[in-house]
Amino acid sequence: MASVPSSSSSSPSQPKTRKKPGQNSSPAPPPQTKWRTGTQERLYSRRLVDALRATRDRTQVQESVGSRAVKEAADSALALTARGQSRWSRAILFGRNSCRRKLLVKAGGKIRRHRRKQHGVPPVAAVAAEPGVLKEQKVKERLRKLGRLVPGCRKLPAATLLEEAADYVAALELQVRTMRALADALSAAAVSAPEEEETKAVDPMAIAEQGS
Amino acid sequence: MSSRRSHSRHSNASRITEEEINELVSKLQMMLPDAPIRRNSRVSARKVLQETCSYIRSLHQEVDDLSEKLSELLASTDTDSAEAAILRSLLMQ
Repeated sequence: MASVPSSSSSSPSQPKTRKKPGQNSSPAPPPQTKWRTGTQERLYSRRLVDALRATRDRTQVQESVGSRAVKEAADSALALTARGQSRWSRAILFGRNSCRRKLLVKAGGKIRRHRRKQHGVPPVAAVAAEPGVLKEQKVKERLRKLGRLVPGCRKLPAATLLEEAADYVAALELQVRTMRALADALSAAAVSAPEEEETKAVDPMAIAEQGS
Repeated sequence: MSSRRSHSRHSNASRITEEEINELVSKLQMMLPDAPIRRNSRVSARKVLQETCSYIRSLHQEVDDLSEKLSELLASTDTDSAEAAILRSLLMQ
């Protein structure tokens, strides 16, 4: 224990990050900083771009890339960037890769049964042994709502759910930031290069301006 | 303090102390958009959870909107300028 100096241990040599991005030796940094490092942004944007490109290649020439495909690609890229360290990321990845129905039936048959119970009667007995503030009914309701929003976290105990939620919120913020930057860049490109396009899908106005 | 020990009879979940829960809740609270400045005093956990839910929902909504925008943009730009734009956005970070 004496080998780890208390104050100066967390001074990494990397100029970009404020804290060490998730090494195994030290405990994981809090989600706010972990997801805000430049490294993570770069990682995610690269993954997102790859995913989008793959999606576009997979789509037929006639069809356009649907918005749902984009969202799924973005979510998968986000989950990948999390490196499977959080439950929600694993839930996303498993939901996409293998045959969804099989997995859901096997692992989720029980979940469905529980879900019916939860909708009907508030399960007081299930989470009885928790510290004070969590015993209130409304808090439990909100916790359940939260569990529904974060993927793969419906049955978790409160503390884990809170951790996952914090991580998920930070990751979502990263996702929004990156997608917005990408959209801005793309729209800037679209605006600046109408004359250079040879494609058919051009505004009729632009064609008229160029003359025939 | 002693009440915590009496809960430990029930299940393993009680090892998570109330302090930890409160810490997690306040960490969540710090992440909410207008949180850190206003809320130096402790807000009820219920409120924090509620705001977290609505924040996550609004983030989901933004992601959906951005996905739609991106899919439109991808459809309308040709490959070269799209790649150029992507490279540009990557470099700008």
